[in-house]
Amino acid sequence: MLRGGGRGAAAVLRRAAAGGRAASGGHGQQPDPEQGHGQGSARPQPLEPSLLSFLVCPLSKRPLRYEEATNELINEELGIAYPIIDGIPNMIPEAARMIRKKPPAEDSKQA
Amino acid sequence: MAAAALCPCQAVLARRGGALRALCGSVRGLAAGTQTHFGFQSVTEEERREKINQVFESVAKKYDVMNDSMTLGIHRVWKDILVHKMNPCPGTLLLDVAGGTGDIAFRFINYIRSARERQLQRKLRQHQNLSWQEISESYQEEQFKPLGDSQVVVCDINKEMLKVGKQKAQYLGYSEGLSWVLGNAEELPFDDDKFDVYTIAFGIRNVTRMDLALQEAYRVLKPGGRFLCLEFSHVSNPIISRLYDLYSFQVIPVLGEVIAGDWKSYQYLVESIRRFPPQEELKAMIEDAGFFKVDYQNLNSGIVAIHSGFKL
Repeated sequence: MLRGGGRGAAAVLRRAAAGGRAASGGHGQQPDPEQGHGQGSARPQPLEPSLLSFLVCPLSKRPLRYEEATNELINEELGIAYPIIDGIPNMIPEAARMIRKKPPAEDSKQA
Repeated sequence: MAAAALCPCQAVLARRGGALRALCGSVRGLAAGTQTHFGFQSVTEEERREKINQVFESVAKKYDVMNDSMTLGIHRVWKDILVHKMNPCPGTLLLDVAGGTGDIAFRFINYIRSARERQLQRKLRQHQNLSWQEISESYQEEQFKPLGDSQVVVCDINKEMLKVGKQKAQYLGYSEGLSWVLGNAEELPFDDDKFDVYTIAFGIRNVTRMDLALQEAYRVLKPGGRFLCLEFSHVSNPIISRLYDLYSFQVIPVLGEVIAGDWKSYQYLVESIRRFPPQEELKAMIEDAGFFKVDYQNLNSGIVAIHSGFKL
């Protein structure tokens, strides 16, 4: 079931990647949530792949890209990243951090 | 509204610092200064959001227990009625907003599971005389799909409530077809025309800009989608109204103090119920958002009402 989920996840992430940024080849962008499941407690909980097909940025309503390294959902256009905490994406704009120029100046979370 | 948000977005992001927060403030339309109510107090919108946030952070762990004691368990019946009214079939996509502890989501999943079982039983009964070819094909079919592609997304603005909900889900064994998102009902992080049903149970009362929430509900629903709102409402019968007032103001805050150690939050609760628009007014607001065939059903003489509308 995990493998099936991984295949589905890769497909969804590829679609999200194609939507989120200029086409630079979906193949390079295949973060593997399977690894996240396997290593469990060591890494932060990954996002459920089915959820990614629904989520968009609350501000611009554009698709998001899942960044496995920082476990965030990134809106390339606006240059903001929404954190995922305990597998729950935090889609409150105030909680998002800007990624354009430098590392997060303030990482305040409201909710 | 999305287009308008994008332009100030890009302009503001050219500067540094708390640009994002300023943007959000401006997107909410100069909300900080506008006066609104928090129970019987008068506060600014910003203050209201913060206060409500604190209320739910503090009650999150005892939320279910308090619901049971305050309503003497009747809230379960109300929520059951809501899901029965929804009558979802397998394959339905539900968005449960302000769904914190997951009550509606779990009921939805249960309903779908039994509907799915009946569906499969009917299918089996019809297929009693299969050829060997058909039988071998059925073995090669995909896995069994107990939920039949149905999904529920629980969206809440409060992290504590979602945490409690997620733990409950784990404890009760709900995992498939269930997702949790931290989001604002006034600014949903979902694309247009996505969901079959949108529910908000005992949550819309706590939304500061109800009109925005209703517009967002309209946006994310598919054409043909249904909006369902379960909320405390107004009792017209004078006798019941008196008894209800007595119970609300004398008993509930005391229960709040005894069980949850939090008088003020439950005082807020009963006050907010009194401040909430009555059935007809809420119906008009829902119609304003673009919904059709808006109607409401009173439960318990109007103590609670279910409003329903369709996006056509």
